[in-house]
Amino acid sequence: MAYRVLIVDDSPAMRSFVRRVMELSGFDLAVCFEAGDGGEALKVLNSEWVDAILTDINMPGMDGEELLRRLSADEVLRAIPAIVISTDATANRMDRLATLGARGYITKPFVPEDLRAVLERTLGDPNA
Amino acid sequence: MDQIVVGMADCRIAEGGGQVLATFALGSCIGLAIYDPQTKVGGLLHFMLPDSGIDPARAKANPFMFADTGIPLLLEQVCGRGAMKRRLVVRAAGGAQMMDQEGVFEIGKRNYLALRKILWKSGVLLHAEAVGGIRSRTVRLDTSSGKMWLLEGGEQRELVAGAPRQGGN
Repeated sequence: MAYRVLIVDDSPAMRSFVRRVMELSGFDLAVCFEAGDGGEALKVLNSEWVDAILTDINMPGMDGEELLRRLSADEVLRAIPAIVISTDATANRMDRLATLGARGYITKPFVPEDLRAVLERTLGDPNA
Repeated sequence: MDQIVVGMADCRIAEGGGQVLATFALGSCIGLAIYDPQTKVGGLLHFMLPDSGIDPARAKANPFMFADTGIPLLLEQVCGRGAMKRRLVVRAAGGAQMMDQEGVFEIGKRNYLALRKILWKSGVLLHAEAVGGIRSRTVRLDTSSGKMWLLEGGEQRELVAGAPRQGGN
């Protein structure tokens, strides 16, 4: 299937890195939306449907945790699988994000293969 | 089943299944195996050094000696026989910390870093690896089943694609 994804990160370099790893992992990207923080992400989600969200946590403006909170409070948006990509790997934070509906978690720094493993666990193997 | 031996600074391609590509005694060298399960086209490269910049004439005579000249050629030869980059299963072994004759350390590590960089640039990701450490390795790629066998420290095991990374360097 061709995926519609939303990548949320304040670093354009990280956004394009995540996008490239998805492509190299065999995920066929129909559309790839990008947002610099949670607020921008919600704007995109107002008008576009996506199959998956990959989000950073520490961002200026609305952070990733608040974004997940808003998503989980929304009947429709809570159905979208969200994967967190963050430097913050404390057990506390991970537990909190899991209760907010994060389906996958990857800690920076990571190699492309690590991200592919999380993507396949969360979204399924694209080549299966 | 036919066994095709891949020497040092060498690369062999097999197609249609029925052959095993093998390379022995990988120390700081790296054995890179790529395989398309659909067409059963596979290739095994045994490169020795990361960068051809140190000796362009030698790289021209034998591009398989270096990571930066050998890896693109391996991909080109396998894809030229009908394999698709997107389907490729990519596995690597070697890159151990050995001391070479001149006493230069870290060749294994530099080989591994060059491998990662070139694969990323070429648009493929690793599916499994057994790298680093201090032991010599031997690998075999069975082009019928696509299985890759790793012999290390007297023990043989399958290098399963998709298995967690070993850490290595």
